[in-house]
Amino acid sequence: MNNTSYQACPECDLLIDLVQPEIGEKIHCPRCGLLLLRPRKQSIERTFALSIAGLILFVPANFLPMVGITLLGKANSGILMSGVISLFNENMWPVSIVVFLASILFPLLHISLSLLISGHLYFNRYNRNLVSWMRWMHHLDEWVMLEVYMLSIIVACVKLMSISPLILGWGLYAFITLIFITALLTSSLDKELFWQHIEQLSKDNKHAS
Amino acid sequence: MQAKQCALKQGFINCHDCGYLVKITQQLSSCPRCRSHLHERKPHSLQRTCALLLSSFFLYIPANIFPIMTVTQFGTGDAHTIAGGIIELIDGGMIPIGLLVLVASILVPSSKLIGISLLLLSVYFRWKINARRWTFMYRVIAFIGRWSMLDIFMISILVDLVDFTGVQIIAGPAAIAFAAVVILTMFAAENFDPRLLWDKQ
Ligand SMILES: [Zn+2]
Ligand SMILES: [Zn+2]
Repeated sequence: MNNTSYQACPECDLLIDLVQPEIGEKIHCPRCGLLLLRPRKQSIERTFALSIAGLILFVPANFLPMVGITLLGKANSGILMSGVISLFNENMWPVSIVVFLASILFPLLHISLSLLISGHLYFNRYNRNLVSWMRWMHHLDEWVMLEVYMLSIIVACVKLMSISPLILGWGLYAFITLIFITALLTSSLDKELFWQHIEQLSKDNKHAS
Repeated sequence: MQAKQCALKQGFINCHDCGYLVKITQQLSSCPRCRSHLHERKPHSLQRTCALLLSSFFLYIPANIFPIMTVTQFGTGDAHTIAGGIIELIDGGMIPIGLLVLVASILVPSSKLIGISLLLLSVYFRWKINARRWTFMYRVIAFIGRWSMLDIFMISILVDLVDFTGVQIIAGPAAIAFAAVVILTMFAAENFDPRLLWDKQ
């Protein structure tokens, strides 16, 4: 592999003659300051492992009760999906769909895609859909809002604390761990490296056939 | 010198989806690496951003006038607007949380609306600007947008938990308008191409 290549900054279109950075190094655009490259150690292996962990954690985070309150002698607890359903039943379906997408479906899709992609790269398997998966994952990035949801849980808890004692369930702890895992996942996923691997795999595949 | 550094003027297109640098030729219309369509700049960036921005300006009005949630206690309803909810938090002594909601549901959306308008105006009227500083502003706008969903998620949690016979929290019409504002401004920021700030230099 050649160790210098031209690249253009995605935010100011500066043409840069890049020397492939070492692991741990960060390369910023000299004109606008955007972080361009940040190679990670064992990016594929780590992404693969973290995606599996994230997918497993997704189950308790979605099906175990997160926060509960007791009022007038009755207890009520909620999971991610029950909030979506309550909104839907109140004829707030546009809001309910938005909450469902941003807090359940998109995070699930994002982790599944990163598992599929890193799995294929880890075992050096070619798949013609790799390219589409990468593009979907790229477009989903911004719409995964687990950490925003976490902040909402905190604010809601503070509001509810004044009317009732809170019961924190295992679902909440699973959810917090899931957020940590997705944060690690995002930082370990080196997109440029992934693209280069996919390019290499498709070249090999063409030669073979 | 400035002009020479621009990839497009040197005959290269940067792929939007994978960041691959492609030499402009007659027959190439899609990226050789990720097969997505190649565009010199994001297509119709100004028109699309402007349309999305105007719709969010219109929706921002009902989002702030109508109640975002109603607390009913034994038959008597108490409707809150976005601002009303914050005032209640601060009156109740929950100042840090009140400020947090103030930032997420009032300061962030309004500064986003103003910021994107300024970006559009500066490109359209070719203002003499410090492009580096404005690109930084764009980056901040694109980053903070999603945090406004705070209020929407919080309503979904409260509506679900506070559902007893006698005491209930019900979402109000402003919730729909506010969620639409957050999403439309996120799309507006996504459609704006910061490279336009540098092209007119
Ligand atoms: Zn740059
Ligand atoms: Zn591409």
